[in-house]
Parts: sequence; structure tokens; C-alpha cells
Amino acid sequence: METIINVNNLCKTFKIHKRGTGFKGAVKNIFHPTYEYKKAVNEVSFSIKEGEMVGFIGPNGAGKSTTVKMLSGILYPDSGDITVAGYIPHKQRKEYVANIGVVFGQKSQISWDLSPLDSYEVIKHIYKIPDKKYKENLERFSELLDMGKFINQPVRQLSLGQRMRADIAAALLHSPKIVFFDEPTIGIDVVGKDKIRKFIKTLNQTDNITMIFTTHDMQDIEKTCERLIIIDDGKKLYDGSLENVKKGYVSSRIIEAEFESLPITLDLPHTEITDVENNAMKKLISFNTDEVSVNELMTALMSTHNIKDVSIREPEIDAIIRDIYEGKIVMN
Amino acid sequence: MKDIISLFFAYARTGLKTRFQYKLDSVISTFAVFFREAAGIIAMYLALLKFDTINNWNIDELLFLFSLIFITYGIFIVFFMALRDFSDWIKHGVFDRVMLRPRGLLTQLVLCGADWLAAFGHGTLGIILFIISANRVGIEWNFGMAVYYIVVVISGVLIQGAVFLFFSAISFYVVETNSLKEIFYWNMRKFAIYPLSIYNKFIQSILIFVVPFAFVNYFPAQFFLRKADMAAYPEWMMYISPIVGVGLYALAYAFWRFSLRYYKSAGN
Amino acid sequence: MSTYLQFAVIKFRNKMAYRFDYLLGILNTLLSFVVYWSIYKALYGGASEVDGVTFSMVTTNFIISLGLSSAFHKNEMFLQDKIKQGTIANELLKPVNFKLRMLFEDVGEGAFNVAFNFLPTVVIAAFFANLSAPSSILNVLLCLVSVVLGYIVLWQISFIVQSWAFWLFNVWGLITIKNVFVNILAGAYIPMWFMPEWLRNVIQFTPFDSIYFTPVQLYLGELQGWEILINFARQLLWIVILYVIGEFCWRRGIKKLVVQGG
Repeated sequence: METIINVNNLCKTFKIHKRGTGFKGAVKNIFHPTYEYKKAVNEVSFSIKEGEMVGFIGPNGAGKSTTVKMLSGILYPDSGDITVAGYIPHKQRKEYVANIGVVFGQKSQISWDLSPLDSYEVIKHIYKIPDKKYKENLERFSELLDMGKFINQPVRQLSLGQRMRADIAAALLHSPKIVFFDEPTIGIDVVGKDKIRKFIKTLNQTDNITMIFTTHDMQDIEKTCERLIIIDDGKKLYDGSLENVKKGYVSSRIIEAEFESLPITLDLPHTEITDVENNAMKKLISFNTDEVSVNELMTALMSTHNIKDVSIREPEIDAIIRDIYEGKIVMN
Repeated sequence: MKDIISLFFAYARTGLKTRFQYKLDSVISTFAVFFREAAGIIAMYLALLKFDTINNWNIDELLFLFSLIFITYGIFIVFFMALRDFSDWIKHGVFDRVMLRPRGLLTQLVLCGADWLAAFGHGTLGIILFIISANRVGIEWNFGMAVYYIVVVISGVLIQGAVFLFFSAISFYVVETNSLKEIFYWNMRKFAIYPLSIYNKFIQSILIFVVPFAFVNYFPAQFFLRKADMAAYPEWMMYISPIVGVGLYALAYAFWRFSLRYYKSAGN
Repeated sequence: MSTYLQFAVIKFRNKMAYRFDYLLGILNTLLSFVVYWSIYKALYGGASEVDGVTFSMVTTNFIISLGLSSAFHKNEMFLQDKIKQGTIANELLKPVNFKLRMLFEDVGEGAFNVAFNFLPTVVIAAFFANLSAPSSILNVLLCLVSVVLGYIVLWQISFIVQSWAFWLFNVWGLITIKNVFVNILAGAYIPMWFMPEWLRNVIQFTPFDSIYFTPVQLYLGELQGWEILINFARQLLWIVILYVIGEFCWRRGIKKLVVQGG
């Protein structure tokens, strides 16, 4: 397959106004402002092939959304090259963006007071979508995303999941070659998330659309992507198969337990107890299922303590990143 | 061009549809805008009942002067509303969306922002004032006059559009520009309601050289009315509104193009 | 104690951070004044007085009425926002009288603006606009009292219109219309002396002239003896009447909220 996105040594630095503290600082601010420079994206390179579906993950402020904004032509890079589908996004914005679709999980592109259908009509005009193609796409997405019930209702009456589905359809009406999803499942319930993931996966397979997916939610990635790019502190930390990362994180678990009495001790190798802020009775116990089974751990805990409440936490992106730094996950 | 017009109507349709979701509120809001703007006229009218003229301008001539402000502003908010509220567009990430669409940035901003109800409020007021005053001020309307009137209205719209295009470009560097707008647009507009000649030299220079509201209504009105206070200014000033409008807009546009690359999308 | 001191320090710093906006606020008030000052200067055209009203009286009238109306400007969508966001129910559960709290917050803001926006504007304006000197210390004090009473009249009118948010989708339009009435009829855009006779007769029966015009007259020493008492009595009477109307709207609104479950 052909390469469709090529990014080379991409950099972007933001100038941040640094506020002085106290009275003197406030006065100084007015006459002599000082700035701090933050490298949001630092020498990032990667390339993506046509039809690939790539998960873009990293903690908050890692630079993933800045990267996506440069890829989609919203921000000017400071240095480095970007070519997407043969265009340089920030230089050929108008021609380029006709080829892409962008879905922002937190910023809807359809009007609050109108029905999705009303907004689609405007989109049809903006993108100059031919009648026939518009009709075909609308019918198809409306069916796949199960929008029949609400396509004529004002958006303000829709649930978050419904609104997101309507938004995804809006970004696809002009048949883009590449689609960026920025946190498309944020705040949506489990059933809703699943519908969206399935749709995205199907579309990627049937239409050969290249997709880039930024998210906090590892489940999103797991259910959709095969390739993963991890960004931390502006740098590319990992670029490779999901499988490879999965091996590490699937086995690491955290149990949150609330005890009825003190002291709380655990005499079991390969486990680690950490405190929870503001609650002495609550502890986090991290362990690795390769070394300790849940069964073993629970037996050990319950034989010595009375437990009031217990829950298992999903592994978080932070944990994966820690594992990469510690060399437990290696790029392949 | 045909395509641009059809896009304009697509936006207008949805814009009106949005407003008519709340019919009673739209009617009240439109009336409120109309009434708020009429307050200045009421104050002017009441004062003139007592004093007859201000710097030799009678009430009809003042209304003619005033009508240019409303007519140009009524058209202005059809096309430049998005630029007027541009800092909000940046703050709420709406401009990101504009950048993601395969149309010119200003084309989209100019076509999609229209606040039709406010435009109706201002425009109606302007037209009513124009109809009342245009007959009584003794202008002998002919074809040339009518054409020049249309030209100065367009120039007035462009001048105000240019002022807000400057503000919008400034929003790329510092997002919050409300105070600037307050000082350099809204307060200047309050001044422009009355004849330029009543103000001191400093304020006059600002209205001529900095925020050239004088070319939106005072000098164009002088072309039609030829009042004695025009003697204080060079005569050619009555004719250059179109140059000021186009020139200022071109300047503002160049500044906007230059500033665009400094756009920092919200949330960074 | 040190915690509270910390609050004060933070507040102070916040104010400093907005210093630019604050200076522009003074400039705004000043510019509004300059517009009307210039208009009346031209209208007077050098005449020393018109109908027994001197130009400096007019100037003084404008600085007080326009200056105060700008200082007393506040967020009038407050109640509507609380209702729309649904937080009003929580507010009502707190052991604080909501309406009183609203009044005091606004009074605090208004007092700050009078001290740090209105007074600086007056001082700057005094350099170019020959304002009338107060007729006596006593009159200044009486004027201050009537400014406070006038503020309460203004606040209650605003509260009544704000409380309609319980029934209407959006009160912005009505608030705007109300402000036009207040600014014209209270004499902020045209001095009361120059209103047509019939309009003044109508205004006599409204609360509007007790907002700014009573303070202006007291400052200029236009009122004597009994007239002073009558004017204070009028201000108080309007406060009572408006309070009753405001309470009525407020209670009906709360009742509606409770019945419909917010």
C-alpha cells in the first residue's frame, strides 16, 4: 500500500505568558512581560499507509492534539515537513481539507438548535457534494449509525451518544480519504461507545479510509486499531503494533480496596500497596497477573483483613508509558 | 459566484431557522435592539425640541446623518457579524472548524455569521430615518446622487468591516479584545451620531485618521447637505469615502493574512 | 485569620491582573461623558444659561447620572443563568436569603465602581469640564444618602425584570428595553430640565427621577427645606412599592419552580 501521511522532524513550540506573583510581579507583567517556551511537539516523525488505522495516545498535554491540528492544517508547524495525500496541509489548506474529515469529541460541528439533517444540508453546500453522492452517503450512514429515529430532531434533544453519531456522519458526508477522530467516545456510555467503535472499524475495512484516532481510552484503541503511536512530552515514545503493548499492559492490574480496620499489610511477593489520598482505609494494590493471580491476591487479603469494598481498575495509559520507560515494552 | 450565493442562502436558511425556534424571544429581542438604538434618537429629538439646532444642523439633517450609521450597520451585521464576535469564535473552537472546510476563511466568516434579526432592527430604523429625513433636508435627488449614496453606504460598511477585521487579526495574538472594541468602535460610534464639528480637535482627528467613522456618515452627509461647518475641512474629504473604505479594508486584509500563521487553536 | 488575609491578597492580585481592563473602564465612562458634554456645549453655543440652567449645571447633571449609570452597570442575566443552569434550587437550600445576597453582592460591586471608576472619572472630567462645586457640605452628604436610595430603587426595578426569567425563555430583550426607559426617563441622556412639560409631568408619577435626578438636585442645592424631605419620602415610597412588586414576582416564581420541579 502507498504511504499517505508523511511527517518528518515536526516541531511546534508555544510561547506561554509567564505571570509574576505578588504585587511586584503584577506590575512587572504590564511593563515587562516574560515568556516561557514549551515544546509541544518535538522532532516527531512517522508515516502512515493508505487504509491504515492508527491509534494516537498519550497523557493530557503530551502534544497529540497539537500534532493532529498540524496534520489537519489548523496550525502552522515551526519546522519539519508534513505531506498528507500529496498536499502540504498548512500551505494548501483549502484544497487539502476537502480530502479529510475531522471529528472532535468535545466540539460538535452540527448546530445545537437544528436537526442533524439541517446541518448536513449546509455541509453539502460547503463541500459542493453532488446530489447523488450526498443521498447515497446519507442513506448509508443513517442506516449504519442507526440515526433514523433522531435525524430530524433538534440536536439539543439528543443524547451524547446520538449527537456523536450524528457528528461522525457529518464528517464523512463528503467521502474523505482520511479521517481524524479526536476523543470520539469521551463521556459516552458503554453501549454508545461500542456502536461508535464498530462503525469506525467497519468503515475502515469496507471503504479503505485512513484513520487516525486520538484517545485516552485504551479500550477505544484495543477495539479498533492495530498500530499505535504513543506521544509523551512532545516526543514519539512508541510506534508499533498494538499486540506488543498489549502483552505488557494486559497483565498489569490495580485493585482498589477499602478495609474495615487498620493496620493494613500484605505479605505477598510482586505486589505493591500505595495510599489513597484523604482516606486511610482505602489502598491501591498493583500487581501483575503473570506473577500473582487475582485469586491468590484476594485470598491473601481476605484471610487477614475484613474488606468493605473492592474494585479492579483498568490499566491506564500512564502505566503503559511507565512500562515503556522502564524497558518492559520494546518498540518492534 | 452562483455557488457563493447558494452557500449564502444555505447559511441564511439555517440561521433563520435557528432563530425561529424561539419565536417570542426573537420578536422581543428584535424589538429591544430597535428600541435601544432608537433611544439615542429620542434623546436627540427631545434635546432639539428645546434648542432647535446643533451647530446649525436641524433635526432632519441630524436624522439624515444618523440614518447612515444605522443603514451601514444593518448591512454590516449581515456580513461581518462573525468578525465582530471573532474572539468568541476562537475561544469556543469554532474557527478550527472553519479552517477545516474547503472554502476561503473570510468567505466563510462573511457568509455565515449574519444576525438577521439584529440586522432587521438596525436596518429598519435606518430606512425609516432615511425616508423621514431625505425628503425634508432639501436634497434634489438625481441618478448621480442616488449612485453616490449607494457607494457611500457600501464604503461605510467596508470601513466598519475593516475595523473589525483588524480586531480579528489582533485576536490571533491576544484572544481577548473586548476592551479594544469598546474603546475604538462602540465609543467612536457614539461620537459619530452627532456632527463631527461639535467635538474638539483631538476627537475629530481620531474620527478622521484613527477610526475613520467621519467617512461613514459625516463627510458623506456633507456631500448631500453642504452645511456651513464643512468649511473647516478640505472639500475633497466629501468624496474619498470609497477610497478610505477600500484602502482600509485592503490594509486590514493584509494584516489578517499575515497574522493567520500565529493562530493558536484554543486548548493549547 | 491568616486564611482570610490570604483571600484578600488573592482578590487584590486578581484585581491587579485586570488593571488594564479597569483603566479602560474609566476611559469608557469618560468617553460617554465627553459625547454629551460636547453635544451640550454645542447646543449652548456660548450662552451662559438656558431657562435658568447654566452649562455647568448640565455638565454636573451628566457626570452624576451617566457616571453613576455606568458604575451601577452589572450582570443582569445573573438570575436567568442560575435558573437555566438549574443551580437556583441549590442556592435556595442554603441558609442564606438569596435575594439579599444578590443585593449585597451588587452593592459591593457598585460601591467599588463608585470609588474606583466614578470618582476618578469625576476628577479627570473636572480638569476640562467646569463642573459645579457642591452648594454645601450638608448637600453633599444628603446627595450621598439619596444616591444610595436611588441605587436601591434602580436595583429593585432590575430585580423585577430579572425575576421574569421564571416564566420567559430569555429576559435579555426585556432588560434592554427596561434600560432604555431608565436611561431616558431618569435623565441620563437628556437633563430633566429640558424635558417637555408633559413628559416631566408623567415622570413625576414614576420612580425614574428618584434614581439620579434627586441626587443631582441635592448636590446642586436646588431643593430647600420641605422639598428635601418630600424627595427623600418619594425615594422611600418607591423602594417600598417596588419591594412589594418584586417580592410578589419572586414568590410566584419560586412557587412555579417548586411545582414544576425546576
